[in-house]
Amino acid sequence: MITAGVDVGAKTVKIVVLRDREVVATAKDLSGFDQAKVASELLAQALEKANVTQGDLAGICSTGAGRKIVSEATHSVTEVSAGAKGSLFINPDVRTVIDVGAEEGRAIRCTEKGKVEDFAVNEKCAAGSGAFTESMARALEVDVAELGKLSLGSDASVPMNAQCAVFAESEVVSLLHAETPKQDISKAIHDAIASRITSMARRIGLNKEVLVIGGVALNVGFIRSLNEAIEMDVIVADDPEFVNALGAALIAAERAN
Amino acid sequence: MAKYKTEPLKCWAKAKELRDKYYQDYATAHERGGIRWTGGAWSFDAIPYGLGDDVYPITGEPYAASIAFNKEFSLKCMEATEAKGWARDLCSYMRNYWGSMYLNKYNFGGPYPKPTFAFQDHICCSHAKWYQVVAEHEDIPYFNIDVSVGPYHLIKDNPQKIKYIVDQMHESIEFLEKVTGREYNDDKLIEAVKTDMRSTSTWAKICELNKNVPAPLEEKSMYSFYVFGTLSKAKKEFADFYDELYDEVKDRVDRGIAAVANERCRLMSDTQPPWGFLKVFRYLEKYGAISVGSLYTFGLVGNWEVKKDGTWGARETYMEKGIEINTRDEALTALADWTLSRPEWQHFYDPGLKTEMMLRIAKEWKLTGVMLHLNRGCEGLSTGIMENRLGLVESGIPVMTFEGNMGDEREFDLGRTMTRIDSFMETLDLEPISAD
Amino acid sequence: MFSKFEEWYRDRHDYARAWKEKSSGKVFGCFCSYVPEEILVAANILPVRVLGSHEPQDVTEPHLFGMFCPFCRDVLAQGLKGRYEYLDGITLAQSCIHLRQAYRSWEQHVDQPFSYYLPHPMSVQSPAAVPYLREELENYKKAVEEFTGSKITNDDLDRGIRILNENREAMHELYKHRIGPEPKLSGKEAMWVTVSSTWIDKEEHTAEIRRVLKLIEEREMDRECGAKLMFVGSENDDIEFINMVESVGATVVVDDHCTGTRYFWNSTADDMNDRIEAIAKRYVERPACPSKDHPVRTRFPHILKLAKDFDVQGVILIQQKFCDPHEADMVPLRKYLEENDIPCLFLEFDVTVPLGPFRIRVEAFLEMVGEEDLF
Repeated sequence: MITAGVDVGAKTVKIVVLRDREVVATAKDLSGFDQAKVASELLAQALEKANVTQGDLAGICSTGAGRKIVSEATHSVTEVSAGAKGSLFINPDVRTVIDVGAEEGRAIRCTEKGKVEDFAVNEKCAAGSGAFTESMARALEVDVAELGKLSLGSDASVPMNAQCAVFAESEVVSLLHAETPKQDISKAIHDAIASRITSMARRIGLNKEVLVIGGVALNVGFIRSLNEAIEMDVIVADDPEFVNALGAALIAAERAN
Repeated sequence: MAKYKTEPLKCWAKAKELRDKYYQDYATAHERGGIRWTGGAWSFDAIPYGLGDDVYPITGEPYAASIAFNKEFSLKCMEATEAKGWARDLCSYMRNYWGSMYLNKYNFGGPYPKPTFAFQDHICCSHAKWYQVVAEHEDIPYFNIDVSVGPYHLIKDNPQKIKYIVDQMHESIEFLEKVTGREYNDDKLIEAVKTDMRSTSTWAKICELNKNVPAPLEEKSMYSFYVFGTLSKAKKEFADFYDELYDEVKDRVDRGIAAVANERCRLMSDTQPPWGFLKVFRYLEKYGAISVGSLYTFGLVGNWEVKKDGTWGARETYMEKGIEINTRDEALTALADWTLSRPEWQHFYDPGLKTEMMLRIAKEWKLTGVMLHLNRGCEGLSTGIMENRLGLVESGIPVMTFEGNMGDEREFDLGRTMTRIDSFMETLDLEPISAD
Repeated sequence: MFSKFEEWYRDRHDYARAWKEKSSGKVFGCFCSYVPEEILVAANILPVRVLGSHEPQDVTEPHLFGMFCPFCRDVLAQGLKGRYEYLDGITLAQSCIHLRQAYRSWEQHVDQPFSYYLPHPMSVQSPAAVPYLREELENYKKAVEEFTGSKITNDDLDRGIRILNENREAMHELYKHRIGPEPKLSGKEAMWVTVSSTWIDKEEHTAEIRRVLKLIEEREMDRECGAKLMFVGSENDDIEFINMVESVGATVVVDDHCTGTRYFWNSTADDMNDRIEAIAKRYVERPACPSKDHPVRTRFPHILKLAKDFDVQGVILIQQKFCDPHEADMVPLRKYLEENDIPCLFLEFDVTVPLGPFRIRVEAFLEMVGEEDLF
C-alpha cells in the first residue's frame, strides 16, 4: 500500500511517501504565501521521486497548521496525533515526544500502546520555538545554523530572562555591550529556549525515552541545553523535520485499511 | 440520522426580555426616583433591597461580559483603560467596565449611568480594588465586605468567621442609610434573602438535570440563563424565571430532548469562556461532543450540598428546612452562611477543594474529559487551575487546556483553539461526524 | 561594616540549618509579611520569610499558570528544588491570590510536618477586623501549641512581642542614618539588613544592628550620595538591581516594600492585657499591602510622608509583573506622587531583570531628577 503524509507547517511544507510502511520519498520546501499551491507542487514532486501517481495512493493525510488547505488530502490530523504516530514508528520505546517547530513547541505523552495520553502546547509565545532562535541569531549577527555550534564552545551559565522573547532580545544586546563572548551568549540563548520547552514538557511529565522532533531538533546547541535541563539524554530523530509527515502517512495507511 | 431529538428552548425570548429590562431599569432608575448602585456579581445584592422596591443594581462582571461580546466597543474600552495607564494583564472584566466608564458610554445605549454608590465584596484581589477606582472616578461612596474567611467546611465550626462578615454587613446597612438618606426596611431584607436562596437553589436543580443522558442543556445556552444569578440573586422576577426554566428543562428530560442531537462525548469546561468566541462550544458538536456545564456555571450561582446518597444536589433552603428568619441579624447571618457555601467560593483557598468538586462533577455528570480555559482575564477563577489539571489527570480524566481571555479578544486565538480541540478529540479517538 | 548582613543575605539556608542544630528549635517558613511572628518567637520557633532566588527555572509550570507573578513562581521553585528542606512548618498569612497558590502547591508537593493557612482580614479598615483577626490568631496559636507540644504563655508572648519590637526599633534607628545630605549607608546595605531581618534570629539580628549603630556616626562613605531615591512596590530583594541603580549616581534612602519598611514600621503594643489582641491590632494597623488598602487609600499619604521625611528626589515604582494589587495602585499612586512634585520612574520586574535596558532608563530618570534640582 502506498500513502502520503503532507505536513504544512508555519515555515515549511514536508512530504513523506510510504510504501508498505517504508519511506520511498520525501520532499521539503518553504511554505511561502500560497501554501496550497506549494503543497500540491511538492506532493507531485515527491510522487514523481517515488515513481508513483496520485491514483496509486491509498490515502493522503495532511497535518500541520495548514492541514486544512491541502485539497488532495483524504484525511487530516493535528500535529499531536501525527507526531506521536511518527515518533513511535521510529522508536517504539518513546514515551515523551518533544516537537519544536518554527512557531510552536509541543510535548506529547504516549502510552506503551502508542496512544496519546496527554499533550501540552507552548501558548502563543515565541520563546519556545524556532522563531526565537532565529531572532536571537539576528541579534547576535550570526547564521542560525552557526548559533547552535557556537554555544557548544561554552560552559558558562549566563542567566537570561526566558519569559519573553522581546526582553531576551534586549538582554542579548546588553550582553553584547558588556562584551560577553558570543559563545556564552549563544549558550544562554539555548539554555533559555530549553528551559521554556522543559517547563512546558514537565506539565505532562518527562518519561524515557524522550524523542525530539521538529526543525529545531537539528540545533546541536539546543539539544545540549535540553539534555542538561531535563537531566537525561534525549534521542534526536533522524530527519526530525519529517516525523509529522511520516506520522500522517502512517495514519493514512491505517485509515485506508 | 440524529441520535436524539432536539428542540429550541421556549424560555429564550423571556430570558432576553428580562435581561434587557434589567439594563434598562438600571439606566432609567433615576427618572423614577429610584436608586442605582454598582458592584460585583459576588456582592450581597439582597442587602440593598432593604432600601426599597426601586433599587436597581448593575453588576460589573456580566456587564463587562456583555461588552466583551460586543468586540468593537470592547476594544475601545480596553484602549481607554490602557490610555489611563492601567496594566493590560489586569482583570479584563474590570478593564472593560472601567473603559465604559471612562468613555462615558453605556453598552446598551446612551451615556454610562452614574451609580449612587458602589457595594462590593472581596474574595479575589481585584474585587475591592475595582470599585475603589470606580468610586474615585465617579466620586461616589463605596462599601466593601470582605468575605475571605476560608472555605465553608472550616466556617461551620468557627462562628467568629461568620460574625466577621455579619458585623461588616450591619456596618454596611448604616452606610446605605447614610448615603441614600432612606430608612432601612428589615422585612424587605428578609424577603430578599429568601429570594436569593430560592433562585440559587433552583439554578442548582436545573444544572442537576444535566446529569441525564442526553443532556437537556449545553453550556453555551446555560450561560444565557445562569447570568441572572450574577445580575441579581435576590430579584423576585429572576427567581420566578428560574422556576419556569426548571419546569421546561424537566419536561425536556421527561421527553428525552437533547441539547446536542449526536451527543456521544460529555465534557465540562472551567472558568469563564472567551465571551466573544462562544462558537468554540458549537465547534465541539462537530465531534458529537457537548459541554454539559462546569463548576463555574454550576457553582458560581447555584448552591449545592452533598445529599444522603452521597451525590450533589441543590442545597435545601431555610424555607424548605423550616428555619425562620425574623430579624435583621438572622437575615444577615443566614445570607452569609448561605452564600459562603456556594461551590465556586471554595477554591480561592485551596485548589484541592476545586479538584475534588470537579472530580465529583466528572463522575456524576458522566464526563469523558475536561477542557480547562487558562483564562488570562481572571486571576480569581484561574487560581490553582494548573493544580486542578494535575489532579484531574492523576485521576485518569483526559484534560485539554487552551489559553485565552474571557474579556480581551486580543489574547485569544480561535484557530489555534480549534486545532487544540481537534487534537484533544483525536486523543479521545473521536472523528468528526459533520464537516466544519 | 555590613558584611555580616551580606553573609546572612547570601547564606540564608546555611544560617537556618546552623540555627536549628544549635538551638534544637523549629524553623517555620513564612509566606507573606503578615505572618504574626510574635507568636512563633514566643514558641521558640525561628520564622524565616520564604523568598525567591532570582534564577530562571523550569519546575513551576505544571503547578502555576504563567499569568501569576514571577515572585510566587520563584518562591515555589525554591520549595520544589528542595532549598528549604530544613523547614518544620510553613504558614501563609492571607493576602494575595498569587502567593496563596505558591503556598498551596508547596504544601502539596513539598514535605513538611506542619502547614497552616491563616485567614487574615482584607478589610483592615473595618472595625470588625481586629476582633476577627484576634480569633484567627488564637486558632493559630493553638495549632502551633499542638504542634510543638508546649503551651504559649503570656510571658512567652511578652517575650515574642519584646524581641520583635526591639528589632523594629533598631531598624528605625538605622533608617535614621539614611536621612540627611550624606546617608551613612547605601540602599544595598540597607537591603541586606532589612531583607535578612526576615529570616535571621531577631535577637541576633538586633545585636548586630546595635553593633553597627555604635560605629555608624563615624563612618566615612567612600561613595558620592548622588540623587536620593525611594523604592516603592511589592516584594523586592533584588540586590543586583539596587546595586546597578546606586552605581549610576544615586542612593536609595527609603522604601515601601513588604521586605522593607512595611515589614517593620509599626510595633506591637506591649501594655495590653490581651496580648493576642495587641498582635492582631499591629497587623491590622501596619502600613498596608495594596491588597488590603481599601476603601480608603491609606498607603499614599504614608508613602508621601516617607518620601518627604527622607527628602527623596525621585521614586522608582517597582512592579512585579502580573501583581494585580500593585497594578491597581500604580496609576493613582504615580499621579498622587507627581502632583506632590515627586518624579517617578516605573519599572516592571520579572524573576531576573534586564539590567542593561533598565540602566538606560534609570540614567535618563536621574538626568531628569538632576535637572529639576537646578531650578
